[in-house]
Amino acid sequence: MASRQSRAAATNGPRDAVVVGGNRIPFSRAGKKYADASNQEMFTAALEGLVARYGLQGERLGEVVGGAVLKHSRDFNLVRESVLGSSLSPATPAYDLQQACATGLEATIGVANKIRLGQIESGVAGGTDTVSDAPIAVGEGLRRALLDAQHAKTWQARAKALAQIRPGDLKPLTPATDEPRTGLSMGEHQAITTARWGITREAQDEIALASHQHLAAAWESGFFDDLVTPFRGLTRDDNMRPDTSAEKLAGLKPVFGRSLETPATMTAGNSTPLTDGASTVLLGSREWAESHDLPVLARVVDAETAAVDFVHGHEGLLMAPVHAVPRLLARNGLTLDDFDFYEIHEAFASTVLTTLAAWEDVDYGKNELGLSGAFGSVDRAKVNVNGSSLAAGHPFAATGGRIVATAAKLVAEKAAETGRPARALVSVCAAGGLGATAVLESV
Amino acid sequence: MTAAPPRTADGRTLRVETQTGLPGLGGLYARGAAASGRIAAGRALPSLPVIGTGRPASDDDGEAQAALVLPDVAYRVSGVRTAGLERHLHDYQRLLHEPVGSTMPAGYLHVLAFPLATAVMVRGDFPLPLLGMVHLRNVVEVRGPVTVGDVLDVRAWAENLTAHRRGVQVDLVAEIRFDGADPSEPPVWRGVSTYLAKGYELPDAEADGQRGRTSRPEVAPAGYDPATHGTTSAASVASASDGWTPPLPTGRWALGPGTGRAYGAVSGDRNPIHLSALSAKAFGFPRAIAHGMYTAARALADVGHRRADAYRWTVDFAKPVLLPGTVDVAITPRSDDDGNPAPDLTGTAAGFDYVGWSSRKGVRHFSGEVTPL
Repeated sequence: MASRQSRAAATNGPRDAVVVGGNRIPFSRAGKKYADASNQEMFTAALEGLVARYGLQGERLGEVVGGAVLKHSRDFNLVRESVLGSSLSPATPAYDLQQACATGLEATIGVANKIRLGQIESGVAGGTDTVSDAPIAVGEGLRRALLDAQHAKTWQARAKALAQIRPGDLKPLTPATDEPRTGLSMGEHQAITTARWGITREAQDEIALASHQHLAAAWESGFFDDLVTPFRGLTRDDNMRPDTSAEKLAGLKPVFGRSLETPATMTAGNSTPLTDGASTVLLGSREWAESHDLPVLARVVDAETAAVDFVHGHEGLLMAPVHAVPRLLARNGLTLDDFDFYEIHEAFASTVLTTLAAWEDVDYGKNELGLSGAFGSVDRAKVNVNGSSLAAGHPFAATGGRIVATAAKLVAEKAAETGRPARALVSVCAAGGLGATAVLESV
Repeated sequence: MTAAPPRTADGRTLRVETQTGLPGLGGLYARGAAASGRIAAGRALPSLPVIGTGRPASDDDGEAQAALVLPDVAYRVSGVRTAGLERHLHDYQRLLHEPVGSTMPAGYLHVLAFPLATAVMVRGDFPLPLLGMVHLRNVVEVRGPVTVGDVLDVRAWAENLTAHRRGVQVDLVAEIRFDGADPSEPPVWRGVSTYLAKGYELPDAEADGQRGRTSRPEVAPAGYDPATHGTTSAASVASASDGWTPPLPTGRWALGPGTGRAYGAVSGDRNPIHLSALSAKAFGFPRAIAHGMYTAARALADVGHRRADAYRWTVDFAKPVLLPGTVDVAITPRSDDDGNPAPDLTGTAAGFDYVGWSSRKGVRHFSGEVTPL
C-alpha cells in the first residue's frame, strides 16, 4: 500500500465521519415482488431494518437524507415521512435529495460532510426507487388547461380554459429514461460510448457473468446477512442468476446501439434491468459510534463529483466518474494503485469497461483529463468483487447505499484479515452526464 | 422613414408596396387579438393561403415559359409591434425545445416574417403555384437579438428565378429591421427560402442569364450545386443510398403524429401535407410530413446557447420526415482554424454542422450549419 498522506491530512482537517453499517431490502425486478410497494414503504422498511439492527429505536439522529429518482409529487417529503413512519425519534430531521443514479452516494457525501464539520453527530443516507409504482402524469395540454382553469377567476374563464382540452391531451405521460436534451435513452448513449471505445461483446458478457457469480458467492458466504432485511417475502435479490453462463449471455440479442454502423453489443444480459428497492447507510462521528457501542467499518475519506459535456457527443453520458476520480485522488495524494477494492457501478457492463479503458488511454489522459499521460490501470480482480448492479439490479437512488455499505464492509474485513489498512474507491455514473465518487478507508 | 427600394440579387429594383399589417399569425398576435389563447389563435388564421392561386403547370410550353417573370414588387410592413407576442413566443420556444425567454430565435422570426413572402407568392402575377412547391433550402442570418417589445420593419420579395434539374427554383427573401433603422445597413434578420416548382422550365437564354449572375452569396455558398442538390431534394424519388455513412448520433427525436399540427398551430403554416395522413395523401405523401422549418429549428435549438447572438443558420432539405417518425441527429461542433477541436463546455466555437437522418432507412432528411457571424 502507498503512503498514508491522506490520513495525515485528515488529522489536520475536520474530524472523521465513519460508516457504522448499512441496511437495504433485497432488490427486485420491476413488476414482480414489489409491484405494489411505494417508494415510501420501501424506504421505511430499509430504514426500520437499520434501526432494528443498530438499536436506534427512539433515537434522535442528526439527519436522514435520501431520495428517489422517479418520484410522485405527493412525496415532496419522502424521507421525512419515512422517518415519521419508523421508530426513530420523530425529532429526527430529514430532507430529500436527488442526483439521478448518484442520489444514494451524494446523500452519503452530504451526511458525512455534516458529521465532519461537527454539525451533526449521526445520520442516515440512502435512497429508494420503484419503476413498478412510477408516477404517471397527465399530458402537457391537459395539465396547462387544468392549471389555467384553476387560476381562472370567473366560471366563463374556467370554461374557456377547459375548452382548450383536446382528446390527444388525455393521453397519460409515463416516465422515460431518455435524456431530456438529446432524446436518446441511457442505453443508446452508452452504446455510442461503447462503440467509440471499441468495447467487445465478449468483454461485456464477461463482466456480467462475473457480477452474477460474485454476487451469488457473496450471498452464499453470508456477506449480506447483516446488510439486508427481507421484504415482501423476498430474501435475496431476485435478478441474480447464479446459474447463468457465458453461453447463455452470448445467446441474447442486442437491445442498444442497433442503429449504429458498428455491431451492436449491449444486451439485456450486460445491461442493468429496471429494478425496485431501497437502501440505507448509517454514519456517525467516531465518538457517537463509541458512545452507542456501535461498530465502525470505515471512514469516508473524501468525495468528488463531476459532470461532462455530453450533449453534442464531446464526452460519453456516463463518463463523468472518469473525470472525478483523478481529481479526487490527486487531492488526497493517492494513485489508482492505492486501492484494495474498486466499486464501479455497473449501469452497463460497458460502463465499467469504458471507464477502465479511458483511464488506460494516454491521449485521453492528456487531452481530456489534463494529465501527463494515462491515468492508470486497475487490477480487474479487485473490481466489484461481491458483484454489482448487473446482478443485484439497479433501483436508481438505492444503488449508492448498496455500494457504500458493501465497500465499507469489504475494507473492514480486509483490514481485519491482513492487519493493514484497506481502501476502496467508489464510482457511480448518473444521467445528465453526472458522476459521484468517493474514497472509503478502514479504521 | 422611407426605406430605399430594395435591389435584388438578380439586379432588379423593386417597387415597394406597403401593407397594413403582417398577414397570418404574426399580425393577429401583434394586434393582440388572440392574446388569450395559443390554440384558439392558431385556428383563426384568415389569410394564409393553402390553395395556390398561381398559374397551374401548363402543357403549352411556349406560353408558360414566356410568362415566368417575377413581380417587381417588394411588400413592406412597418411598425410591427411585438409587445403582445410573449405567450406565443413561449409556445414556440417550448415546442421547439428552445429556452423560454423574451429573445426570439431565428426560426420564430421566420414564422413572423414569412407570411409576407407568402403574400408575394399568392399575387396574381407570381408565375409559379404556391401549393406543391418544394422547400429546398433556407439560409438565415441573424445579426443580433430581437426581443419582445421591439418594433419591426419587415420586407419580402421574390428573386433569382433559376432553372433546376426538375423544374424552376425561386428565392423568397424576407428581411427584418428595427423600425427606423437605416435600410442601407444589413437587416437584423434575413431569411432566404429557396423553393422548387416542379415541371416548369425557363427558356434556355433566360436560364443561362440567371445562372451567369454571380451575386448570390447568401444563397449559393461554395460547393452548392443545384444540379446535384436535386438528387437529394424532397422532390426526389430516387434512392438516397449515395454511399453516405451516418455519424454517431448526438440525439434522437421521437416525432409524434401531431407534430405537424402542433407546428402548424404555432407557425400558421397549415399546409395540408403537414396536418394529417389523409390530407397528405391527397398530395402524394404516404403520411403527413414534418414541416422542414420545424426540423431546422429543432436542430438550431439543439445547438443551444453556444450559437451566440449573431449567426448564420442554413438548412438543406433532403427526404421528408414522415410522421410519426424517429429522426437521428448529430450536432457536430467544428474545429477552429488551427485544427484544434472545438472548445467544450464554453465558447461559441467555430460553428456547428448538423444532419438528421433515418437510421432505419439510412437516408438523410436534412443537413445544415450554424456558424457565428
